[in-house]
Amino acid sequence: MNTEGLVAVVTGGAGNLGKEIASKLESNGLIVYILDIKKSESERHYQVDLCNEQEVEKAIMSIINKEGKINVLVNNAGVIYSEPLINIMNPSKMRHSYENFTKYVKLNLDTTFIVGSIVAEKMVQKRTKGVIINMSSISAVGNAGQSAYSAAKAGVESLTKTWSKELGVFGIRSVGIAPGFIDTESTSHALNESIILHVKKNTPLKKLGKKENISEAILFAIKNDYLSGTIIKINGGLTI
Amino acid sequence: MNERLLKILASVFEIKEVNISLELKKDDIDSWDSLKQMDLVVSLEEGYGIVLEMEEIVKMNSVQSIVDILSIKGILQ
Repeated sequence: MNTEGLVAVVTGGAGNLGKEIASKLESNGLIVYILDIKKSESERHYQVDLCNEQEVEKAIMSIINKEGKINVLVNNAGVIYSEPLINIMNPSKMRHSYENFTKYVKLNLDTTFIVGSIVAEKMVQKRTKGVIINMSSISAVGNAGQSAYSAAKAGVESLTKTWSKELGVFGIRSVGIAPGFIDTESTSHALNESIILHVKKNTPLKKLGKKENISEAILFAIKNDYLSGTIIKINGGLTI
Repeated sequence: MNERLLKILASVFEIKEVNISLELKKDDIDSWDSLKQMDLVVSLEEGYGIVLEMEEIVKMNSVQSIVDILSIKGILQ
Protein backbone atom coordinates (compact mmCIF):
# COMPACT_ATOMS: atom_id res chain seq x y z
CA MET A 1 0.00 0.00 0.00
CA ASN A 2 1.40 3.42 -0.95
CA THR A 3 1.34 5.55 2.18
CA GLU A 4 1.50 8.98 0.51
CA GLY A 5 -1.59 11.04 1.38
CA LEU A 6 -3.21 8.44 3.62
CA VAL A 7 -5.02 9.89 6.63
CA ALA A 8 -4.07 8.37 9.99
CA VAL A 9 -5.35 8.78 13.53
CA VAL A 10 -2.94 7.97 16.36
CA THR A 11 -4.38 7.75 19.87
CA GLY A 12 -2.06 8.60 22.72
CA GLY A 13 -0.03 10.52 20.16
CA ALA A 14 1.11 13.10 22.71
CA GLY A 15 3.04 10.46 24.69
CA ASN A 16 6.58 9.27 24.22
CA LEU A 17 5.89 6.28 21.95
CA GLY A 18 2.90 8.00 20.33
CA LYS A 19 5.06 10.92 19.19
CA GLU A 20 7.53 8.50 17.60
CA ILE A 21 4.70 6.69 15.77
CA ALA A 22 3.18 9.96 14.53
CA SER A 23 6.57 11.22 13.38
CA LYS A 24 7.35 7.96 11.53
CA LEU A 25 4.01 8.05 9.71
CA GLU A 26 4.35 11.74 8.81
CA SER A 27 7.83 11.17 7.40
CA ASN A 28 6.30 8.52 5.14
CA GLY A 29 3.74 10.89 3.70
CA LEU A 30 0.73 10.19 5.90
CA ILE A 31 -1.46 13.00 7.24
CA VAL A 32 -1.52 12.29 10.99
CA TYR A 33 -4.14 13.37 13.53
CA ILE A 34 -3.59 12.84 17.24
CA LEU A 35 -6.27 12.00 19.78
CA ASP A 36 -5.04 12.32 23.33
CA ILE A 37 -6.28 13.60 26.66
CA LYS A 38 -2.87 15.25 27.04
CA LYS A 39 -1.83 18.38 25.18
CA SER A 40 0.64 18.19 22.32
CA GLU A 41 2.46 20.59 20.02
CA SER A 42 0.90 19.07 16.91
CA GLU A 43 -1.45 21.28 14.87
CA ARG A 44 -3.59 18.23 14.11
CA HIS A 45 -4.39 17.41 17.71
CA TYR A 46 -7.74 16.77 19.40
CA GLN A 47 -7.63 16.84 23.18
CA VAL A 48 -10.28 14.27 24.05
CA ASP A 49 -11.07 11.74 26.76
CA LEU A 50 -10.85 8.45 24.86
CA CYS A 51 -13.25 6.84 27.35
CA ASN A 52 -15.95 9.31 26.26
CA GLU A 53 -17.68 7.99 23.13
CA GLN A 54 -19.36 11.31 22.30
CA GLU A 55 -16.11 13.29 22.52
CA VAL A 56 -14.29 10.75 20.35
CA GLU A 57 -17.06 10.68 17.74
CA LYS A 58 -17.05 14.47 17.53
CA ALA A 59 -13.28 14.49 16.92
CA ILE A 60 -13.46 11.70 14.32
CA MET A 61 -16.31 13.50 12.49
CA SER A 62 -14.22 16.67 12.47
CA ILE A 63 -11.32 14.80 10.83
CA ILE A 64 -13.69 13.19 8.28
CA ASN A 65 -15.15 16.63 7.46
CA LYS A 66 -11.65 18.03 6.86
CA GLU A 67 -10.03 15.11 5.05
CA GLY A 68 -12.99 13.13 3.72
CA LYS A 69 -11.61 9.81 5.00
CA ILE A 70 -9.55 7.96 7.57
CA ASN A 71 -7.35 5.13 6.22
CA VAL A 72 -5.32 4.20 9.28
CA LEU A 73 -6.08 4.05 12.98
CA VAL A 74 -3.32 3.33 15.47
CA ASN A 75 -4.91 2.53 18.83
CA ASN A 76 -1.80 3.32 20.82
CA ALA A 77 -3.22 4.93 23.98
CA GLY A 78 -2.97 2.89 27.15
CA VAL A 79 -1.69 2.87 30.69
CA ILE A 80 0.56 0.19 32.23
CA TYR A 81 -0.72 -0.85 35.65
CA SER A 82 0.57 -3.35 38.18
CA GLU A 83 -1.28 -4.67 41.24
CA PRO A 84 -1.13 -8.24 42.54
CA LEU A 85 -4.38 -10.20 42.77
CA ILE A 86 -3.51 -10.99 46.39
CA ASN A 87 -1.17 -8.71 48.33
CA ILE A 88 -0.09 -10.93 51.18
CA MET A 89 1.83 -8.06 52.77
CA ASN A 90 -1.30 -5.97 53.27
CA PRO A 91 -3.83 -8.09 55.20
CA SER A 92 -6.26 -5.20 55.76
CA LYS A 93 -6.65 -4.80 51.98
CA MET A 94 -5.31 -8.00 50.52
CA ARG A 95 -7.45 -8.28 47.37
CA HIS A 96 -6.90 -6.47 44.06
CA SER A 97 -9.19 -3.45 44.03
CA TYR A 98 -12.16 -4.05 41.73
CA GLU A 99 -12.32 -0.30 41.14
CA ASN A 100 -8.74 -0.35 39.83
CA PHE A 101 -9.48 -3.43 37.73
CA THR A 102 -12.37 -1.76 35.93
CA LYS A 103 -10.47 1.54 35.65
CA TYR A 104 -7.45 0.03 33.88
CA VAL A 105 -9.50 -2.31 31.70
CA LYS A 106 -11.42 0.79 30.64
CA LEU A 107 -8.25 2.78 29.91
CA ASN A 108 -6.67 -0.03 27.87
CA LEU A 109 -9.54 -2.05 26.35
CA ASP A 110 -12.64 0.19 26.27
CA THR A 111 -10.68 3.01 24.61
CA THR A 112 -9.54 0.61 21.87
CA PHE A 113 -13.14 -0.48 21.30
CA ILE A 114 -14.57 3.07 21.37
CA VAL A 115 -12.13 4.59 18.87
CA GLY A 116 -11.96 1.40 16.76
CA SER A 117 -15.70 1.03 16.39
CA ILE A 118 -16.22 4.69 15.47
CA VAL A 119 -13.40 4.73 12.90
CA ALA A 120 -14.54 1.36 11.45
CA GLU A 121 -18.06 2.75 11.08
CA LYS A 122 -16.79 5.74 9.08
CA MET A 123 -14.54 3.48 6.97
CA VAL A 124 -17.49 1.21 6.12
CA GLN A 125 -19.85 4.12 5.43
CA LYS A 126 -17.34 5.76 3.10
CA ARG A 127 -16.05 2.45 1.68
CA THR A 128 -12.51 3.40 2.71
CA LYS A 129 -10.05 0.54 2.68
CA GLY A 130 -7.53 0.71 5.47
CA VAL A 131 -6.09 -0.77 8.61
CA ILE A 132 -6.76 -0.63 12.33
CA ILE A 133 -3.60 -1.26 14.34
CA ASN A 134 -4.06 -2.08 18.01
CA MET A 135 -1.23 -1.92 20.55
CA SER A 136 -1.15 -5.06 22.64
CA SER A 137 1.65 -6.07 25.00
CA ILE A 138 3.82 -8.99 26.01
CA SER A 139 1.52 -9.05 29.09
CA ALA A 140 -1.41 -10.25 26.96
CA VAL A 141 -0.29 -13.84 27.58
CA GLY A 142 -0.66 -13.23 31.33
CA ASN A 143 1.81 -11.47 33.59
CA ALA A 144 1.96 -12.00 37.36
CA GLY A 145 0.97 -8.82 39.19
CA GLN A 146 -0.90 -7.33 36.23
CA SER A 147 -4.44 -8.79 36.27
CA ALA A 148 -6.14 -5.71 34.82
CA TYR A 149 -3.46 -4.80 32.26
CA SER A 150 -2.98 -8.41 31.09
CA ALA A 151 -6.72 -9.03 30.77
CA ALA A 152 -7.18 -5.77 28.88
CA LYS A 153 -4.36 -6.51 26.44
CA ALA A 154 -5.65 -10.07 25.86
CA GLY A 155 -8.97 -8.40 25.06
CA VAL A 156 -7.22 -6.04 22.63
CA GLU A 157 -5.71 -9.04 20.81
CA SER A 158 -9.13 -10.68 20.63
CA LEU A 159 -10.71 -7.50 19.22
CA THR A 160 -7.93 -7.40 16.59
CA LYS A 161 -8.73 -10.94 15.40
CA THR A 162 -12.50 -10.40 15.58
CA TRP A 163 -12.33 -7.17 13.55
CA SER A 164 -10.08 -8.74 10.92
CA LYS A 165 -12.73 -11.45 10.36
CA GLU A 166 -15.67 -9.04 10.49
CA LEU A 167 -14.26 -6.14 8.45
CA GLY A 168 -12.11 -8.00 5.93
CA VAL A 169 -14.96 -8.06 3.43
CA PHE A 170 -14.77 -4.23 3.28
CA GLY A 171 -11.01 -4.30 2.71
CA ILE A 172 -10.37 -3.19 6.26
CA ARG A 173 -7.51 -4.99 7.97
CA SER A 174 -6.75 -5.28 11.65
CA VAL A 175 -3.29 -5.94 13.07
CA GLY A 176 -1.96 -6.12 16.63
CA ILE A 177 1.48 -5.03 17.76
CA ALA A 178 2.72 -6.64 20.98
CA PRO A 179 5.87 -4.93 22.23
CA GLY A 180 8.07 -6.53 24.84
CA PHE A 181 10.19 -4.25 26.97
CA ILE A 182 10.89 -1.02 25.11
CA ASP A 183 13.23 1.69 26.33
CA THR A 184 10.62 4.35 27.11
CA GLU A 185 9.74 6.57 30.05
CA SER A 186 6.74 4.39 30.92
CA THR A 187 8.97 1.29 31.15
CA SER A 188 11.43 3.04 33.48
CA HIS A 189 8.50 4.29 35.58
CA ALA A 190 6.91 0.83 35.76
CA LEU A 191 10.06 -1.20 36.41
CA ASN A 192 13.02 -0.67 38.67
CA GLU A 193 16.62 -0.99 37.47
CA SER A 194 17.21 -4.53 38.72
CA ILE A 195 14.08 -5.82 36.95
CA ILE A 196 15.23 -4.11 33.74
CA LEU A 197 18.63 -5.84 34.10
CA HIS A 198 16.80 -9.15 34.69
CA VAL A 199 14.72 -8.59 31.53
CA LYS A 200 17.83 -7.84 29.46
CA LYS A 201 19.55 -10.96 30.82
CA ASN A 202 16.60 -13.16 29.85
CA THR A 203 16.06 -11.62 26.41
CA PRO A 204 17.95 -13.51 23.68
CA LEU A 205 19.00 -10.18 22.11
CA LYS A 206 20.22 -8.97 25.57
CA LYS A 207 18.76 -5.47 25.28
CA LEU A 208 15.54 -3.47 25.48
CA GLY A 209 13.77 -2.53 22.27
CA LYS A 210 13.80 0.95 20.80
CA LYS A 211 10.74 3.07 20.00
CA GLU A 212 11.74 2.91 16.33
CA ASN A 213 11.37 -0.89 16.40
CA ILE A 214 7.68 -0.34 17.14
CA SER A 215 7.04 2.52 14.70
CA GLU A 216 8.74 0.56 11.89
CA ALA A 217 6.47 -2.44 12.58
CA ILE A 218 3.44 -0.14 12.41
CA LEU A 219 4.61 1.24 9.08
CA PHE A 220 5.11 -2.33 7.83
CA ALA A 221 1.56 -3.23 8.95
CA ILE A 222 0.19 -0.25 7.02
CA LYS A 223 2.15 -1.04 3.84
CA ASN A 224 1.55 -4.79 3.71
CA ASP A 225 -2.03 -5.11 2.47
CA TYR A 226 -2.19 -8.90 2.94
CA LEU A 227 -1.45 -8.69 6.66
CA SER A 228 -4.52 -9.04 8.86
CA GLY A 229 -5.73 -10.74 12.03
CA THR A 230 -2.25 -11.29 13.34
CA ILE A 231 -0.28 -10.06 16.33
CA ILE A 232 3.27 -8.96 15.58
CA LYS A 233 5.47 -9.65 18.60
CA ILE A 234 8.45 -7.32 19.01
CA ASN A 235 10.27 -8.51 22.10
CA GLY A 236 13.83 -9.51 21.19
CA GLY A 237 12.86 -13.18 21.48
CA LEU A 238 11.82 -12.94 25.15
CA THR A 239 8.76 -15.18 24.73
CA ILE A 240 10.49 -17.98 22.80
CA MET B 1 23.09 -18.15 59.37
CA ASN B 2 21.18 -21.40 58.89
CA GLU B 3 22.29 -22.96 55.60
CA ARG B 4 18.81 -24.07 54.55
CA LEU B 5 17.44 -20.57 55.14
CA LEU B 6 20.29 -19.07 53.11
CA LYS B 7 19.45 -21.36 50.19
CA ILE B 8 15.73 -20.53 50.41
CA LEU B 9 16.36 -16.77 50.47
CA ALA B 10 18.89 -16.96 47.61
CA SER B 11 16.50 -19.00 45.52
CA VAL B 12 13.41 -16.85 46.21
CA PHE B 13 15.09 -13.48 45.69
CA GLU B 14 17.51 -14.68 42.99
CA ILE B 15 20.55 -13.29 44.81
CA LYS B 16 23.86 -14.90 45.82
CA GLU B 17 24.07 -16.44 49.30
CA VAL B 18 27.19 -14.38 49.97
CA ASN B 19 25.11 -11.20 49.64
CA ILE B 20 22.60 -12.26 52.29
CA SER B 21 23.00 -10.97 55.83
CA LEU B 22 20.77 -10.45 58.86
CA GLU B 23 20.81 -6.69 58.19
CA LEU B 24 19.24 -7.10 54.76
CA LYS B 25 15.77 -5.47 54.60
CA LYS B 26 12.88 -5.66 52.13
CA ASP B 27 13.79 -2.26 50.69
CA ASP B 28 17.34 -3.46 49.98
CA ILE B 29 16.11 -6.17 47.60
CA ASP B 30 14.42 -4.81 44.46
CA SER B 31 12.69 -8.08 43.67
CA TRP B 32 11.09 -8.35 47.17
CA ASP B 33 7.51 -7.40 46.37
CA SER B 34 4.17 -8.95 47.35
CA LEU B 35 4.53 -11.68 44.70
CA LYS B 36 7.95 -12.64 46.06
CA GLN B 37 6.49 -12.59 49.57
CA MET B 38 4.12 -15.37 48.49
CA ASP B 39 7.09 -17.34 47.07
CA LEU B 40 8.94 -16.77 50.33
CA VAL B 41 6.02 -17.98 52.47
CA VAL B 42 5.50 -21.15 50.41
CA SER B 43 9.26 -21.86 50.30
CA LEU B 44 9.61 -21.49 54.09
CA GLU B 45 6.48 -23.57 54.77
CA GLU B 46 7.60 -26.36 52.44
CA GLY B 47 11.27 -26.10 53.46
CA TYR B 48 10.60 -26.38 57.18
CA GLY B 49 7.22 -28.19 57.22
CA ILE B 50 5.50 -25.31 59.04
CA VAL B 51 2.45 -23.08 58.58
CA LEU B 52 2.98 -19.33 58.90
CA GLU B 53 0.20 -17.19 60.36
CA MET B 54 -0.94 -13.98 58.69
CA GLU B 55 0.54 -11.81 61.46
CA GLU B 56 3.90 -13.54 60.98
CA ILE B 57 3.80 -13.12 57.18
CA VAL B 58 3.20 -9.38 57.52
CA LYS B 59 6.10 -9.02 59.96
CA MET B 60 8.58 -10.66 57.55
CA ASN B 61 10.21 -7.56 56.11
CA SER B 62 13.89 -8.27 56.76
CA VAL B 63 16.17 -11.30 57.05
CA GLN B 64 16.40 -10.66 60.79
CA SER B 65 12.59 -10.70 61.14
CA ILE B 66 12.41 -14.02 59.27
CA VAL B 67 15.05 -15.50 61.56
CA ASP B 68 13.16 -14.18 64.61
CA ILE B 69 9.87 -15.74 63.47
CA LEU B 70 11.51 -19.10 62.68
CA SER B 71 13.26 -18.99 66.06
CA ILE B 72 9.97 -18.36 67.91
CA LYS B 73 8.51 -21.35 66.08
CA GLY B 74 11.44 -23.44 67.32
CA ILE B 75 12.87 -23.97 63.85
CA LEU B 76 16.11 -22.07 64.37
CA GLN B 77 18.19 -22.00 67.54
